[in-house]
Amino acid sequence: MERLSLNESPGNTQQQRQQTQQNALGPQAPMTQSGPPQLPPQMFTTAAQLLDLTDKKLVLVLRDGRKLIGVLRSWDQFANLVLQDTIERIYAGKLYADVPRGIFLVRGENVLLLGEVDLDREDEVPTSVTKAPFEEVFELKKKEDSKRKSSDKKRYTELQALGFEPEHSGEILF
Amino acid sequence: MADTEDAGASVSEPLDLVRLSLDEIVFVKLRGDRELKGRLHAYDSHCNLVLGDVEETIYVVEEDDNEQETTRTIKKQEEMLFVRGDSVVLISPQA
Amino acid sequence: MLFFSFFKTLTNQTVTIELKNDIRIRGILKSVDQYLNIKLDDIEVLDLDKYPHLSSIKNMFIRGSVVRYVMLPRSEVDVGLLEDATRRGE
Repeated sequence: MERLSLNESPGNTQQQRQQTQQNALGPQAPMTQSGPPQLPPQMFTTAAQLLDLTDKKLVLVLRDGRKLIGVLRSWDQFANLVLQDTIERIYAGKLYADVPRGIFLVRGENVLLLGEVDLDREDEVPTSVTKAPFEEVFELKKKEDSKRKSSDKKRYTELQALGFEPEHSGEILF
Repeated sequence: MADTEDAGASVSEPLDLVRLSLDEIVFVKLRGDRELKGRLHAYDSHCNLVLGDVEETIYVVEEDDNEQETTRTIKKQEEMLFVRGDSVVLISPQA
Repeated sequence: MLFFSFFKTLTNQTVTIELKNDIRIRGILKSVDQYLNIKLDDIEVLDLDKYPHLSSIKNMFIRGSVVRYVMLPRSEVDVGLLEDATRRGE
């Protein structure tokens, strides 16, 4: 591993060892100005990517398909997140509904994507969806989910004959 | 691990076969009902790939009026594509 | 590290990312990290009607593990360099 990740500068093993140590520490390592890359290396860590999004209003999409909207207050290098004043927005058909949820701590592995809401365009609700009472949307969503489940099942049995397997076994991922 | 690098063109571990396919056309089968054919420009130990001049084939299942399922394929072209390794099922050199 | 370095050379280029749930997002590649998490600016969601929850979003952090493809501008990819780096096992 060491030989692969380091570039060809034999002789100075002391420095090499220092570099590897830093690599192993990853994003937690102190941001010192060693190494020659063109752009500062601290720009390319998970932490730096999330730093810009701190205290911003975000849409968080989870692996199970939930959509949460809240303000990002805290995070770490695994993309574990804390969201404040969160609402969950449920979509079904051409309807959606909002459910107030409060504070969320989300484990990083469940994060699919994070989008920063453009506050100038926030109120432009797309014409394809309209707001409806929660109960109505929830019932519709249950129906949609079970329908999708059965059609997915059919698809998998059909495509198994061609040697395919589902991309995300068991998860809805939407 | 140290000396295998020098083996050059020989095949001693599975990914060495992929190394021989660099700058050649390969066939890649993916999870999620997809296949790719394109020129291999890069790969790593996770099977992350970069392919050029790619033809993607997607298999879709449709239900006809008699509730009979039929499989149809969709083809797409991409000029340069990074493929995430965790989707890759197999990589095969195309003679 | 090969692909981490590779994506770093593509910062500020326009790329299209296809996720494992079929969503396709075009945007300017702003940064990448060691897990190949990607940040896109000025995003545009293709087929937005199907994904209304992504309207009025400007920047996006995408977790590397949900990426299926990244479509790249051919002119910005030096395939010779890539092949050499792959052979060296970087």
